[in-house]
Amino acid sequence: MEPDVIPLSKPHEDISMPDSLTDNKCLDTYNFGSNFIRLPVSDGVRELHTVIRDKTTIRKDFIFYADRLIRLVVEEGLNRLPYRECTVTTPTGHTYDGLRYEKGNCGVSIVRSGEAMEQGLRDCCRSIRIGKILIKSNEDTHDARVVYANLPKDIHQRKVLLMYPIMRTGNTVIKAVKTLQQHSVNESNIILLNLFCTPQAAQQLVSEFPGMTILTSEVHPVAPNHFGEKYFGTD
Amino acid sequence: MTENVFKFQPRTNSASDSGSGEDADVQEADFMTPLVVQTDFGCTSPQPKTPKSPSKGGTLKKRHRAPPGSAKPEETRVLHTHGRRTLYTAGRPPWYNQEGQLKNAFVIGLCGGSASGKTTVARKITEALDVPWVSLVSMDSFYKVLSPEQHDKAIMNEYNFDHPDAFDFDLVISTIRRLKEGKSVNVPIYNFATHAREKTMKTVYGANVVIFEGIMAFTNAELVSLMDMKVFVDTDSDVRLARRLRRDIAERGRELQGVLKQYMKFVKPSFEHYIEPSMRCADIIVPRGGENDVAINLIVLHVHNQLQARGFKLRSKQAQSSHNGQPMPGTLRVVEKTSQVCGIHSFIRDKATSRDEFIFYSKRLMRLLFEFALSMLPFKNVTVDTPQGIPYTGKHLAVDKIAGVSILRAGETMEQALCEVCKDVSVGKILIQTNLQTGEPELHYTRLPKDIKDHYIFLLDATVATGAAAMMAIRVLLDHDVPEEKIFLCSLLMAESGVHTVAYAFPKVNIVTTAVDKEVDADFHILPGLGNFGDRYFGT
Repeated sequence: MEPDVIPLSKPHEDISMPDSLTDNKCLDTYNFGSNFIRLPVSDGVRELHTVIRDKTTIRKDFIFYADRLIRLVVEEGLNRLPYRECTVTTPTGHTYDGLRYEKGNCGVSIVRSGEAMEQGLRDCCRSIRIGKILIKSNEDTHDARVVYANLPKDIHQRKVLLMYPIMRTGNTVIKAVKTLQQHSVNESNIILLNLFCTPQAAQQLVSEFPGMTILTSEVHPVAPNHFGEKYFGTD
Repeated sequence: MTENVFKFQPRTNSASDSGSGEDADVQEADFMTPLVVQTDFGCTSPQPKTPKSPSKGGTLKKRHRAPPGSAKPEETRVLHTHGRRTLYTAGRPPWYNQEGQLKNAFVIGLCGGSASGKTTVARKITEALDVPWVSLVSMDSFYKVLSPEQHDKAIMNEYNFDHPDAFDFDLVISTIRRLKEGKSVNVPIYNFATHAREKTMKTVYGANVVIFEGIMAFTNAELVSLMDMKVFVDTDSDVRLARRLRRDIAERGRELQGVLKQYMKFVKPSFEHYIEPSMRCADIIVPRGGENDVAINLIVLHVHNQLQARGFKLRSKQAQSSHNGQPMPGTLRVVEKTSQVCGIHSFIRDKATSRDEFIFYSKRLMRLLFEFALSMLPFKNVTVDTPQGIPYTGKHLAVDKIAGVSILRAGETMEQALCEVCKDVSVGKILIQTNLQTGEPELHYTRLPKDIKDHYIFLLDATVATGAAAMMAIRVLLDHDVPEEKIFLCSLLMAESGVHTVAYAFPKVNIVTTAVDKEVDADFHILPGLGNFGDRYFGT
């Protein structure tokens, strides 16, 4: 299954400035509003991107680096969840002004490549509920169709961490968000966790769901569409 | 020396003995088991005959080492620890010059008869010097390994431990020479029950000041030539005898006659023949031993002048006290305090958090810490081919080898998290424990990758309070030729004082943590802190 609905065989006509591919400063100038968040890009994160995109990377390494990137995106996404301030007493008898996260969150992965991110979420939130949505796309018409959705019953009362690693057109995610909306989830309660995103996917999602929080680690005209195949070893 | 030597006050334990100015080796010999004196009184002539070499045998020995099993093990250990004790204070300034060369340590030789107060003088000099990294080496560690024959003699009290031949001077000289050059040395641990060296050695790293003490410290010319300053502790023999009497009779329940006989036959001849004449080597003679504060102050003043002339920086004390309000050093990098980081801290700091949750959340925090630390390494630009057919310019680590070195025990908990972000990382370990007697850290064990100097090092300790253990670990790495700037000290929580101490001593070491607390209490706990990390993690 393709990670996104545009077939790979399509040429890269959306790449207008080939030079910009190698210049992330250029790409950082995109502005998609305050609900569109980019993971702070350190050299370490750049290396993760590089290894994941490198076609010579062996699968074992690919998974290792992809899992690291997923973990960073998940940790950053958790920062968007609601919390309240609290004071705790340390073993030394002193107090620490900290905070507690509220209960009532859940994850939803978009099958298949979104499932690669489940473990990363599970590693941070041990008992979080995780729902699944399976979306199939018609390669000719680019139509995305929901085949299967299994979501927590009270999902409309929860904050939803929607997981999907690669966005080329954004169609798959749009379909998934609409499915969530059918389950009475308010778009402002959705936090999309994404690794790689094209500018047009970002633009489309922002205009379609202005209230949704979108978190990605890289905006780049070329999406590493091989992600799901390589992660699950079906390439 | 504060106690009145004529007051026959019983002492309660050997540890307090060792601080009371007695000669440690004599103490070891005497307290273990009552002496068996096998000679007649006819031999008590005070005339200075040449005492017999132990290898020649014959005469009865005056020093009695405990037969196996007769000594209480903990007491034995206390004494051994005492003899090889290395004293450290926090905040050692750099001891490399700009070219990375080690500066020679200042070696103080300390000689005097048994029970003259050498140990007290050594301790008082150490305290008054207030120079970080003073190593105290006792000649006791360098007794020769005895042959089975000699060992039997020793058990029969016929081996003379007071003769220069009883010491391995070759090893003493090579050890002191290496210490003087600032290199690490392995000091043997002498087992007085078996008269052999233990398999393990006590590692002593080069110090700014080395104090070498022993009754025969001045009897070898080559050894004496290594000493920058020679101090003879000249305590009146009546006083020394009185101390021995008090100790042996009042504290150890021995017979007056036996003690006197031993003194007259062995201790006194040895002193008169070897020790007293060596007084002429001395630069300074300290009458009355440890109670002579004027003499000690003069010695300290001289050592300070000498060290300053050598370029040692002795401002650590001022730097320590002036840390308050100082800006944090530029080498300190703290993980951004996001709500997640703050939330995790709330869990691991809360004393009500269960152990299971404590482990879970501290591991999450470690992962964030290492991702953060990893991005501080040098990177290079690379261009790779992608399956999409376009080249992609990104970054790769410009580092071949990375090693984690954990400071046991708490640092060990961080190894797994490091391995999760750092492929094929090699892991070394350093065991540093606080000596409960001195309150100072001591190095017990190191295991480092062989080519450690070629690695970038993540030095792992869960918390850094005073920075004393971290400094010792950094010191170990530098002794293994790791460049300072390749060391990343990674910790979940640090106290400001610890950050300053490490940064002051090692200005190029990178310090990485997730939070810096303001204070450290008298028990070296970080405030508000998170308690003892190791205890909470391991459930001990």
